[in-house]
Amino acid sequence: MKITVSINLGGYAFNIDEDAYGELKRYLRELELHFAGEESSSEILSDIEARMSELFRARLSAYRQVITMEDVRYAVSVLGRPEDFSEEGSNSGKQRDSSSGYHRMYRDPDRRIIGGVCAGIGAYWSLDPWIVRIIFIALILAGGLGIIIYLILYVAIPEARTTSQKIEMKGDPVNIKNITDAVRDEFDRVRKNMKL
Amino acid sequence: MDLVNTKAQMRKGILEYCILSVISRGSSYSSDIINELKKAEVIVVEGTLYPLLTRLKNSGLLSYRWEESQQGPPRKYYELTAKGRNYLADLDRSWDELVESVSMLRAK
Repeated sequence: MKITVSINLGGYAFNIDEDAYGELKRYLRELELHFAGEESSSEILSDIEARMSELFRARLSAYRQVITMEDVRYAVSVLGRPEDFSEEGSNSGKQRDSSSGYHRMYRDPDRRIIGGVCAGIGAYWSLDPWIVRIIFIALILAGGLGIIIYLILYVAIPEARTTSQKIEMKGDPVNIKNITDAVRDEFDRVRKNMKL
Repeated sequence: MDLVNTKAQMRKGILEYCILSVISRGSSYSSDIINELKKAEVIVVEGTLYPLLTRLKNSGLLSYRWEESQQGPPRKYYELTAKGRNYLADLDRSWDELVESVSMLRAK
């Protein structure tokens, strides 16, 4: 026996297994983060949800009324994960690299001293890594808080391994929107990473 | 150089052109557009299409209307706008030029 959850997806009501619901929610959240910098992100998401509901409906019948993990995995494989479509999707990649929503925070392995956290933050906001390092050193001297923050960021921020990640790492020049976007994005990402 | 990457770049470059061509044959439902593009092996995952459709719509090349459906909630049908038709005609010309240039180079 399993507990089911009822959801509204693309205007349709579905009963979905609890574990499948968790998976679906994670996937939709991933898409939401991916499209966060896009002009009409909510429209894209609702189009995708409508398509998912179509895929689900095609798999249900009078004898099969509940969405399972398998159905969610199937729908995800048909629609693809964000990394699949940034590989396929038109020249959008280039447009998005220069748009404020698309750059991400990574640890910079090329300029690191310890874990590349300060270098990565510096690359993200076009600051000299030493400015960030001095702030961290000051925080450490002021009572050790810097060490804890550094460790959390080290765990939460992935290392830039591929070239495209290294391009994403370097963002636009500093402006208020970039900073608020980045803070919000990173907050979401940290929360997500903590859960996993 | 990486063959897979070069091929992917080529396909990327023509994806918008392919989408506009499919829609130019009459108003189309997104799942039908997807099926055509998949059959032609231009896309692999469906998620690629949705942001592109929205971007094409935002730049005024496409418009859509809602149509009732017997199988479920209303569906979005996409159409080319006048601007979209001109844009596509331009792309048709440059595609022909490209094909010509490449075949000229290959024939030498």
